[in-house]
Amino acid sequence: MTASRASLPDSRERRCLPGGWRRWMPTLLVVAPLLLLLEGGHRWLESRSQAPLFRVIVAGESLTLDAETHAAFSRDLAALTDDARGRLAARMTPWVEARLAAAFAPLEAAVPGYLDWYFSATGSYTRLGVALVGDLDGWLDEQLHSRLVEPSGIEAALAELQADYPRRLAREQQRLTDALATTLQARYAPRQADAEEGDGALAALDLDGVLQRSLHDGLDRSRWNVAAVGGGGAGLLAGRAMAARLGSTTAVQGSRMVVRSLTARLGAGTARALLGGGAAAAASAPTGPGALVAGTVTTAATLAGIAGSEFALLKAQKALQRPAMQAQLQEELARTRAAMALTLEASTAGAARALEERLARAASPEEVQTPETYRILGRRDE
Amino acid sequence: MAKRSMLPRLSRHWPLALVLLMLLLWSLAGRGLADALFLPVWVVATQLIVAGSLEAARLQRRAWLDQYLFDDSPWHRWLRGGLVMVLRHQLVGALLALVLLVKLRLLPLVAWPLLLAGAAGLVLARQWMRRRLARHVIGERLPAVTRRLLVPPVAGLLALVLVVAAFWLPQPWLVGLGWEEAIADHLPGDEGGSLLAFFERLAASAEVTQYWAMQNAMERLLLGPLMTLLGWLLLLLTQGVVAWAYVRLLVGVDALRRERPAVTRRHREESP
Repeated sequence: MTASRASLPDSRERRCLPGGWRRWMPTLLVVAPLLLLLEGGHRWLESRSQAPLFRVIVAGESLTLDAETHAAFSRDLAALTDDARGRLAARMTPWVEARLAAAFAPLEAAVPGYLDWYFSATGSYTRLGVALVGDLDGWLDEQLHSRLVEPSGIEAALAELQADYPRRLAREQQRLTDALATTLQARYAPRQADAEEGDGALAALDLDGVLQRSLHDGLDRSRWNVAAVGGGGAGLLAGRAMAARLGSTTAVQGSRMVVRSLTARLGAGTARALLGGGAAAAASAPTGPGALVAGTVTTAATLAGIAGSEFALLKAQKALQRPAMQAQLQEELARTRAAMALTLEASTAGAARALEERLARAASPEEVQTPETYRILGRRDE
Repeated sequence: MAKRSMLPRLSRHWPLALVLLMLLLWSLAGRGLADALFLPVWVVATQLIVAGSLEAARLQRRAWLDQYLFDDSPWHRWLRGGLVMVLRHQLVGALLALVLLVKLRLLPLVAWPLLLAGAAGLVLARQWMRRRLARHVIGERLPAVTRRLLVPPVAGLLALVLVVAAFWLPQPWLVGLGWEEAIADHLPGDEGGSLLAFFERLAASAEVTQYWAMQNAMERLLLGPLMTLLGWLLLLLTQGVVAWAYVRLLVGVDALRRERPAVTRRHREESP
């Protein structure tokens, strides 16, 4: 005010020549009181209006905060949500690990039994027979499924996990947000500002509502993610798909190659002979009364020949390949498990991220994803 | 040849250039300087606006009195326009100047070429009009009549240009927002507590309201016709007031410069 008065004569001297006083005085006399009046009014308004208050609904209680406390509140909220992802993962990971271990344990335990069958005489010759007749791969997958996957009950266990996971996630998230809200409420309830009654025009942030909405958000997302896990996305939960996956390991492939090479060495003629003999053998059970009679001499001779020359090979194959195959199957199971755990973890992280995003958006509402500018004329983006 | 004739013509308009420079520098100045110079600039702007409008009002009053009164009636002196008229015009001028100054501070830099072009156009239009009027209007009254006839068309044109510029310039995106949200999000909050800052906030909130009403009306959201009307009215009103005050102010520079000889002449006539 004093500065403006001090600089006033300069501008007046600049603008008006002597004799202009009569002209300038009324203006000054009108404008200066007007300014004083407005200044007074402004001061009065300022004294009347308090600092902006913020209302925050947290943990079921409505807190009224002044601007400074509200800024601290926002900072605290950001800090608390910052590590929400880590804490949620820390709570979810052990549970998921335990559930997956429980689900996979029977499967892993069933591996030796499967291999026993695989390298047994029955298994070997059936394999050989199927290799001669046709689709060995499909048949082996079928065997894997029916002998390894199905008895272990992993399909049911994983389906149960799929159903339990969102529930568990929701519960953990609920607990996390409850703890967050309680912390904030305990920290800021004593720092409330006094608000007059009927002071309705407060900027209110319903943190409870935001948290609730973010929970639904995260749940939807995790549900979607798990659905992707169960569906075509990774194809982990379907038992048959898992059998195919297990069957594609190199050791298993290698043993299959051996069977194929054997078939090749036997030659087409022998194969045809085997086919006939095999069919006859299948028609009458080995324990049946006319078993040996029904089999033709050539077939029996061929089979005996194979048994004589190739039995040693099968034995060697078993000794060489069984450990490798077992290791590979176990490894594949472990990898599948790890992949599942990763997928679920990603789903957890997604839920936590949804929570963080929503809270961040609530804490700083100006960062809404809308275009920056609006033009009535000359729009470029249309 | 043309240059030599242009130069004195330009130098004749130095007061106008000075006033424009003052307005430009003040509107671009920082908060502290603008606050300090608020009163002098307001006084100068008010004085210029009042000079023009008072001249026009006196002209009109004089024509009215000449129409109805005897030449030797003392009412001529009483009704010529005294304290009441001066006060009224000073008050209106002060408010107009206030609106103009506050609006100038909010104006984007892009709009200044328009205003400067408006000033140049005003000078050119004045010369053209004076030549056209010289054959019809009494020589002594010629400048005043020119100014009086000049203000409405130039101010209207400038207001139109400013409205179009407001359409074209980018605005904050307010589609789909509630009015309170729009105000809360787009009103600059940390601008200090001086009176000028308060007025600027007031003007900015009016601007946001106007944008909000217009954008939401343009996007055919469910906004009542009253709100749409409010947006358009606010736009036309503010731009119109700014253009009118601005042109009045520029005309006032001229009026203030030329009036003194006329006043002394009238005094000389009346004194014997």
